[in-house]
Amino acid sequence: MIKLENVTYTYMEGGPFEKTAVHNIDLTIPDGQFIGLMGHTGSGKSTVIQLMNGLLKPTDGKITVDGSELWAKDTKMRDIRFKVGLVMQYPEYQIFEETVEKEIAYGPSNIGLSEEEIKDRVAKAAELVGISKELLSKSPFELSGGQKRRVAIAGIIAMEPKTLILDEPTAGLDPKGRDEILYKIKDLQKRMNITVIFVSHSMEDIASMADRIIVMNKGRVAMEGTPDEIFVRSDELINMGLDIPEVSKICNELIEKGYPLKKGIYKVSEAVEEIRKLKEKR
Amino acid sequence: MVSDIILGQYFPGASFIHRLDPRSKILMIIAYIAAIFIINNLFGYIVLGAFLLISIMNTKIPAKFMLRGLKPVMFFIVLTGAFNLFLTTTGKVYWHWSFLTVTDEGINNAVFMILRLFFLIMGTSLLTLTTSPIMLTDGIERLLSPFGKIGIPHHEIAMMMSIALRFIPTLLEETDKIIKAQTARGADFESGNILRRVKAMVPILIPLFISAFRRADELATAMECRCYKGGKGRTRLKVLKMGAIDLFGWIFIVVLFAGIIACNIFIV
Repeated sequence: MIKLENVTYTYMEGGPFEKTAVHNIDLTIPDGQFIGLMGHTGSGKSTVIQLMNGLLKPTDGKITVDGSELWAKDTKMRDIRFKVGLVMQYPEYQIFEETVEKEIAYGPSNIGLSEEEIKDRVAKAAELVGISKELLSKSPFELSGGQKRRVAIAGIIAMEPKTLILDEPTAGLDPKGRDEILYKIKDLQKRMNITVIFVSHSMEDIASMADRIIVMNKGRVAMEGTPDEIFVRSDELINMGLDIPEVSKICNELIEKGYPLKKGIYKVSEAVEEIRKLKEKR
Repeated sequence: MVSDIILGQYFPGASFIHRLDPRSKILMIIAYIAAIFIINNLFGYIVLGAFLLISIMNTKIPAKFMLRGLKPVMFFIVLTGAFNLFLTTTGKVYWHWSFLTVTDEGINNAVFMILRLFFLIMGTSLLTLTTSPIMLTDGIERLLSPFGKIGIPHHEIAMMMSIALRFIPTLLEETDKIIKAQTARGADFESGNILRRVKAMVPILIPLFISAFRRADELATAMECRCYKGGKGRTRLKVLKMGAIDLFGWIFIVVLFAGIIACNIFIV
C-alpha cells in the first residue's frame, strides 16, 4: 500500500522558474488494484509517480510504502524502488545493453539475485510482454520501436515489483501496439496479483480496465472513484481538458437529443445493451 | 542535482542591462575584465564593487541566485587563495613552518587573487544571465563578422555556439531523465570503488550518447528541410541596433575607468 499525506512538490525552489507541480495531495493506493491516473499535460501526474518510488523528494509531506516511510533515515531507498517498479515515459530511450537478455536482466541483477533466478525471471518477463526467445540474443537497438518499448517494460517487470507504475506506456504507439501492451499489462496484473498504476491522458486506454480512477488537475486530485463514478461527471472532465471515450460522447449526445439513456456509459457493450433496451420499450 | 548548474542559464527581465545591445554588453564585459586587471590597490576594487553592485541591483536578479554561480568554482578560488597565501616567500615574514610561509606580500597576493576571481565570475555570469543565448550568439556573430574577410567562418562559429547553448538544458534534462530511469531499475552510483562507479555510469552514458546523436541527426534534417545553407545571404528577423541606452552604458564604463585610474594614480 502506498500512502501520500499532505505531499507538496516544488521544482527549482528559489529560482526564477520555480513551479509547484503538486499541491498538498492526500492519496492512498490499496494493494491489488488496477488504477488509472489521468490528467492533462502538466497536471502533476508524472511528478506524483516519481514521488511514489522516491525519485523525487517531496518539498513537504510524508510518503509511506507498505508502512515504511520514504526518506526516513533507516529506509533503504533501493529496496523501495524494487518494490515500486516505475516504467518512465518513452522507456526505450534508457536501453543500453548489447543484447535484449542483458537489458532485461539489468534490474534483477541490481537486486543481487542468483544467475539462475535472473535467467528465469528474464524468460518469464520476456514472455509476458510478448518478446520471443529468438530476440533475446539480438541487440535491442535492432528492434522496432514497439518491441524496444516492450523490452524496456520487461526490464521493470523482471524485478517483480509489488506495484508497477507505467507512465504513458502507449504514447507514440500505433493502435495495434497500444492494444497489445494494454492487454498484456491487464493480464499481468491479474496473473501476478500486483497493483498497477497506469498513467495516461487518454480515457479510452483506461476506461475499460481500471478498478479505480484518479483524476488530477493543476497539481491537485480533482476526482477519485470507480469508472462509473468518474464518467458520470463527463462535463467536468471535458472542462479539465480531458477527452472522454467515444462511446460516452455518443451517449451524451443522445441524452441531449432527449433519449432517456443512463448517464456515464463508457463501455461499448454497455451502450449497445442500453440502446437495445430503449428500442424494445418503444 | 542537475538543476544547480546555472551555466548558460538566462534570467529574463527588462532592466537597463537586459536591454543593452549584446555587442555593447560583450565589449563592456571585456572592458570590465581589463579593469579588474588594471586595478593595483583595494580602493580600485571598492569602485569596481560599487559598479558591480549597482549593475546587479539594476538587473533585479536575487543575490542568492548570483552567488550560486560561485559554488562550482569555490574550490578553485580557495585553492588559488591558499597557494598565494602560503607559497609566496618574498616580503616581510609573519609566520613560517616547513615549506609554508605567510608574508605581507603573500596576504596581499591572496586577497587580490580572490577578489579578481570573484569579480571575474560575477561579471561574466551577469552577462550570460541577462542576455538570452540567441542574443549572445547574434552579438558574437556580428562582432566576428569583420574577420569573415580573412576566412574565419564567423556565421558557422556563431551557429555552432547557439546550437550548443540551446542544447545544454535539453541534454541536462535528458541526463536527469536517464539517471532517474536507471535509478528506478536499482542502479547504484554511490557505493563501491572507483572502477565500480565508472562502470555504473555506462547505463547513463550510452543512452545519452545515442540520444545526442539522434537529436543532432534530427536537427540537421530539420535545418535542411528549411533550406538552411549557411550564412551567405541570410537576413535577420531582428536586426541588432545600438541606441541611446548603449551610449549611457558606455558613459558608465568610462566613469568606471576614470575612477579606477584615479585610484591607481592618486592612492598609493
